[in-house]
Amino acid sequence: MINGINIGIVVVLVGIYGLLTKRNIIKMIMSLCIMNSGVILFFISIGYVFGGQAAIFEDSSSLMVDPLPQAVMLTAIVIGLGVTALALALAIKIYDEYKTLDTNKLLEK
Amino acid sequence: MNRKSAIVKVFTRKLFPFILLYGCYLISHGHLSPGGGFQGGVIFGSALILLGLVEGVALAEKRFKEDFLSLAKNIGMLIFILVGFTGMILGYSFLSDFLPQGEVGTVPGAGLILFLNLTIGFMVGTGIAVIFYRMVRHGS
Amino acid sequence: MNRIVAVIVLLILAFFLFSAVRLDYGHPRQGLSEYFIAYGVAQTGALNTVTSIYLNYRVYDTLGEATVFFAAALGVFMLLRKEGEEK
Repeated sequence: MINGINIGIVVVLVGIYGLLTKRNIIKMIMSLCIMNSGVILFFISIGYVFGGQAAIFEDSSSLMVDPLPQAVMLTAIVIGLGVTALALALAIKIYDEYKTLDTNKLLEK
Repeated sequence: MNRKSAIVKVFTRKLFPFILLYGCYLISHGHLSPGGGFQGGVIFGSALILLGLVEGVALAEKRFKEDFLSLAKNIGMLIFILVGFTGMILGYSFLSDFLPQGEVGTVPGAGLILFLNLTIGFMVGTGIAVIFYRMVRHGS
Repeated sequence: MNRIVAVIVLLILAFFLFSAVRLDYGHPRQGLSEYFIAYGVAQTGALNTVTSIYLNYRVYDTLGEATVFFAAALGVFMLLRKEGEEK
């Protein structure tokens, strides 16, 4: 039962746990990245075929993995990069303004 | 960035053009081998980030101005959209392949894919460098 | 207290997720990707099937992704300033 699909779901759950319990903004951004990685692992594992090669026609090899989830996840990786960069920029601005990254202390101010 | 090792500086200066060359290879051969616009662009940007880390951002910015990098990113996005509209002018639908296909397996053999890869790689490489330089230069 | 609630929520979520996802791992699938593998090289000229999907069949996805990345880079560029510059 240990395969990429189940591990991907578990990684997403780990990310949700971090998002629910952590009170530091940097750790919340890290949880978002972990969730992103879990979704990517899940989708790549959906397209896997036992013994399949990468979907590139170098020689006339027979079995190939599913290229469609890989193409979709390429988009998801780029969007995850953009989201992380923007979130980190916002965290820098929050630290400049309030001198703390703790959400409890941010709510008091 | 006080402790600057001479070995790291010399090797970065020697490695820098080769990293750029490898990024260009990944971008231009994206339809024949593993790679593509985004992957090659990230390597392109990582070369600029390496230069900024080793030589100091102030020195690296003298060679690659931040405004110039931002302008290059904007031009890459603009070219991507303009290529799509060029197809519309020539009578195809938006972003469809209007170039003739060459021999399969060569670099110009895939029509529009090569140009879209080039624009995406250009945009991603300069965009990542802009993000890094902005974050490092902020407040310092 | 907070963590106990989080663990309970996660257990419920995990139950629903694992019971909803019943995909067999590693077995070949029919459908659209078979079409892409069979006709991708002839229609687009790209040997890399992922690239032929990414930049020919689903190029609108790529346009949206490029727009998102462009907006994120522009947002970082606008949010963070150097010390000397005015806001």
